[in-house]
Amino acid sequence: MAKKSAVNDSTKKKKTKKKSRAQPGAVAMKVKAMKPNNPFETIWSHRKFDILGKKRKGEERRIGLSRSRAIEKRKKTLLKEYEQRGKSSVFLDKRIGEDNEEIGEFQKALLRSQREYKLKQSKKSKYNLSDGEEDDLGFGGSFLGNDDFEEDMLSEDDGGAETTKRNSHDLEQLDAYNIRNSVETNVDEGEDNKRKSKKEVMEEIIFKSKLFKAEKVKDKEENKQLMEELDKNFTSLVQSEALMSLTEPGKMSALKALVNKGIPSTASKESFAMQKVDTLVQQEKPDSYDKLVKEMSLDMRARPSDRTKTPEEIAQEERERLEQLEEERQKRMLGNDDDSDEDGEDIPGSSSQKVRSISGDDLGDSFSLEEQPSKKKGWVDEILARKDEDDNDSDDEDSSEESDHAESDGDEEESDEDEIGHTKEPNLKDWEQSEDELDLDIDDEEDDEEAEDVDEEKNDEVSDGGTSKKDPTSGKSKGRDVDGAKNKVTNSSVGVKMDDKQVCNQGKSLPCLIEAPKTLEELNKLFEGHSNSEVMILINRVRASNAIALAAENRKKIQVFYGVLLQYFAVLANTKPLNFELVNMLVKPLVEMSMEIPYFAAICARQRILRTRTQFCEAIKSSEISSWPSLKTLFLLRLWSMIFPCSDFRHAVMTPAILLMCEYLMRSPVVSGRDIAVGSFLCSMVLLVIKQSRRFCPEAVMFLRSLLLSATDLKVQSNNASLFYQLMEERTLGPLLCVTGIVNEITPLNFLKLMGMSEDSVYFKSDNFRVSILANVLETIRGFLDIYGELSSYPEVFLPISATLLEVAENEKLPDELRKSLKDTAEIIKKKCDEYMLLRKPLQMRKQKPVPIKLVNPKYEENFVKGRDYDPDKERAESRKLKKLIKSEAKGAIRELRKDNYFLLGVKEKEQALLAQERAEKYGKARAFLQEQEHAFKSGQLGKGRKRRR
Amino acid sequence: MVRRYPVKGKKRKHRERYDEDAEEEQEQEKQMKVEADEPRETEVDDGQEQPEEAEEKVADVLQGLPVVPMETKRDMSPGIVFVLEKASLEVAKVGKSYQLLNSDDHANFLKRNGRNPAEYRPDIIHQALLSILDSPLNKAGKVRAVYVKTERGVLFEVKPHVRIPRTYKRFSGIMLQLLQKLSINAAGKREKLLRVIKNPVTQYLPINSKRIGFSHSSMKVVEMQDYVASISDDTTLVFVVGAMAHGKIETDYTDDFISISNYPLSAACCINIVCDAVRRHLRFI
Repeated sequence: MAKKSAVNDSTKKKKTKKKSRAQPGAVAMKVKAMKPNNPFETIWSHRKFDILGKKRKGEERRIGLSRSRAIEKRKKTLLKEYEQRGKSSVFLDKRIGEDNEEIGEFQKALLRSQREYKLKQSKKSKYNLSDGEEDDLGFGGSFLGNDDFEEDMLSEDDGGAETTKRNSHDLEQLDAYNIRNSVETNVDEGEDNKRKSKKEVMEEIIFKSKLFKAEKVKDKEENKQLMEELDKNFTSLVQSEALMSLTEPGKMSALKALVNKGIPSTASKESFAMQKVDTLVQQEKPDSYDKLVKEMSLDMRARPSDRTKTPEEIAQEERERLEQLEEERQKRMLGNDDDSDEDGEDIPGSSSQKVRSISGDDLGDSFSLEEQPSKKKGWVDEILARKDEDDNDSDDEDSSEESDHAESDGDEEESDEDEIGHTKEPNLKDWEQSEDELDLDIDDEEDDEEAEDVDEEKNDEVSDGGTSKKDPTSGKSKGRDVDGAKNKVTNSSVGVKMDDKQVCNQGKSLPCLIEAPKTLEELNKLFEGHSNSEVMILINRVRASNAIALAAENRKKIQVFYGVLLQYFAVLANTKPLNFELVNMLVKPLVEMSMEIPYFAAICARQRILRTRTQFCEAIKSSEISSWPSLKTLFLLRLWSMIFPCSDFRHAVMTPAILLMCEYLMRSPVVSGRDIAVGSFLCSMVLLVIKQSRRFCPEAVMFLRSLLLSATDLKVQSNNASLFYQLMEERTLGPLLCVTGIVNEITPLNFLKLMGMSEDSVYFKSDNFRVSILANVLETIRGFLDIYGELSSYPEVFLPISATLLEVAENEKLPDELRKSLKDTAEIIKKKCDEYMLLRKPLQMRKQKPVPIKLVNPKYEENFVKGRDYDPDKERAESRKLKKLIKSEAKGAIRELRKDNYFLLGVKEKEQALLAQERAEKYGKARAFLQEQEHAFKSGQLGKGRKRRR
Repeated sequence: MVRRYPVKGKKRKHRERYDEDAEEEQEQEKQMKVEADEPRETEVDDGQEQPEEAEEKVADVLQGLPVVPMETKRDMSPGIVFVLEKASLEVAKVGKSYQLLNSDDHANFLKRNGRNPAEYRPDIIHQALLSILDSPLNKAGKVRAVYVKTERGVLFEVKPHVRIPRTYKRFSGIMLQLLQKLSINAAGKREKLLRVIKNPVTQYLPINSKRIGFSHSSMKVVEMQDYVASISDDTTLVFVVGAMAHGKIETDYTDDFISISNYPLSAACCINIVCDAVRRHLRFI
């Protein structure tokens, strides 16, 4: 029993401790009060870093207190075990609730009694004889209170069936009352939800359905009323005039019919069947309306336009037209000249044809003839039109004016020819303008003289043609320049126009359908005795009647014809009294044809270049013959530069052509003034060709400089020549261009005239010629300056030239104008060179830049949260987390074990101390006893001993 | 309970060598450099012994160009160290997350907690760090180390080859992580670029060093370039700059306390001047 009490004591202690742990904050004071003697328990833990905004809850700890608590706990558990370790039997307190600290005494008692009762109720204990006391105790408790009440109720039920019946009746009545209540006031429903019986519920449902039906009926009535109103409104609207004005009469009548149908139906609204009909009519209504709309839309539908014609078709038409013309011509040749009526009929036909050939986008109101030419542009014009679209407008206007003029004074017979003329006119003007643009910068050997000549010729022709009209473009062209070779085409427009007129007068004998001539003889035969314009028409007709688009074999024919025509062109260029106008006019068909058969044209050109080159090589060997190109070669070169693109980096024709030109400039010896003229012309041509690609052509620059040198006094020669000129072969020409006499004005040169002169003509030695050539050379140099402005070797190339220019300018016999421009050019070169010199830097050794230290990017998380593992490998992070947990747990366990050991050690030491003390006590006692005995013995049994014995 | 017997092996505490791996690397680098330098020197020697041959060689390669002597005195200079004092880097729990406090975003929070928002200026240290680490001085490898001490006394080291984020937001992210995790690794490497270290900073400064503090309040106003020139070349220069908005640095370890302008300068500007002066002194561009 003593043990038990001890255990009880310990449990009591536990209770208090546990309680205190349950509410640490509250009991802390108590604990303090209980143990004020342990000063360590008052120590609180403190934080190293005070972090703003962080809650302190749960952070603070009382280290001493927790330590003492841990010791207490050990005392309760570990110490117990330690004390029990030697025991074979253990006393276990199995009373209910004895372990649980939280249950109060009263509750404990309650639980115990309950259990006891349960045991009694079980089957096993049925036959147990009960003690009186215990029964009383069991039933007397408050647990059975409820049961007693139930039993009472049951007994009442058993008492009589009547009462139950009555009760049920009463209930029914009550229910009925309730229902009435619910019907009248629905508000109360929520309150007595629980009491609803089945009947009640049914009643409610029925009521609701009735209500719903009533509402439906009401809605229907409202709808009816609305419909009536609408119908009324509609009929009034139809009869009003506002709608009448807005709608068509047909539609209106339909609407009215609808309304009339609708009115009787509205009158008999009551019958349900009629209502149905009405709705049907209403359904029909939109259908009729749709019909009306559809009809209207059908009226507005657009018609498809004529499709655009293919080039084949156009060619076919052209050929047909020519055939027709040929027939007419044959007729006329036979005699009937007075077919003007027929012609007159034909013209509108042809014009209508023209109209049809206009593109599908046309609006169809193109009744004026002026529109036609602009529509029928050739491909050349299209290309050129892109260049100068701005000019087009004005040109068109011009042409329209002209056509007006022509119409006014032309007779009917002319008009068909006029068409052709007008179709060509704008084209040629475009051509001309583009040429003008090209040649704006280029200097000309022959300027106004030639232009005047041409103009004179033209005027003559015009007067011949019988029209005293002055061409507006002639003035323009006169104002600018007419370079003989370069602007071959310049006046062709005028020429062609004249041609038309001439043809009108005299060219009725021209055949309209011509087979393509296969040899030069045939061609000569064909062209024999015809004027220039007639030749042009012939060529055009040959081309039209053998258009490539018409038949496959025509390609061959045209190719042959092209070759022949080219030959004709070359031959024509070489004839002594030069038919320059014809040459000029031949360019256009040649250019167009070479576009049709580009491959063949290129082959022709290459062959010719090859032949020219071999001839040149031959010529250069023998010093008697001048190796400079003939007029023919020059013309051909110019023609090719117009046909083929000059700006291509590499071109099958133009590259060899340029090379050939440069070779001429390099290798041909300059002997006479004529050579100089040809050379400078070649230079300007090179400039023209190179202009777009800006390729560097040292030969031309060299040649120009050598020409300039020849104009100086030959005293100082190439002492300051740069490396560039050292590399090139320097050649001294002699003072061919050195002006000796005083010349006051510069006269422009006519290149064709010059070419016509013999080599040893006096003119070539005249100062006039020299000055003109110098001016020309200067212009060419300026062109090169413009082109090569961006070359980095500009100073090297042009500085010597500027020096030479200044030297030339020193000659006082030159006209002031020329001297001034010479100096200007030198100045330009100087400025540009200075610029370049400024930009230039001395050569630098390629310096190795110091290498900066390599920077490393730090790794960090966007939203860092302390303690979270940012390892991308989740498994690894997880395992690391677990490992960490294990480690910390192990540490904790180790710590606990260590503390346990320490505690046990203390206990053991205490025990040992206790034992030692006990032993010492015993020893002392025994010793004392023995001492006493000895004392008694020695003292003769006196004192205490005697007492004990008793 | 105390440990009764000493555990085998050294305690980690006793070998506080923060730059252990870095030093190893440096040593390796040095070795490499030595290896690289040796052949160069021998070449030079060859050139001196047989100058004609060398000249001929050069003449073969390039004509008429002067032969420039190799730059030998490149890595001999002891370099410079920056200490940024009183940096206002403080982490607080704002709402649910931890954030680096700054005056713009957390003005209300700071007021609520009874702090002066004007003192929380982490952008100053950001600018200062950027101007140090982006200077040509650093690119040339002259900056040996950068130490930052916060207002709360946390000291951390910034390796000179860190690329500090350019935007403030990212910088604050890094600082936040640094102050919580105590170190920042390099991306893709294990090297620690930023790490919190133990106070005081003096234990990391080289022995032969001159510690120069900067303050506008100092009476000693100097032209920085002259001042740098006056110091002998074999001493490491330690510049102590304050990275705070107001006040002055209070350090006991500075040898000198100077002002480099008559105007009050921002930390970044001061650093720029210093870097430029040193750069001019060392004569590189």
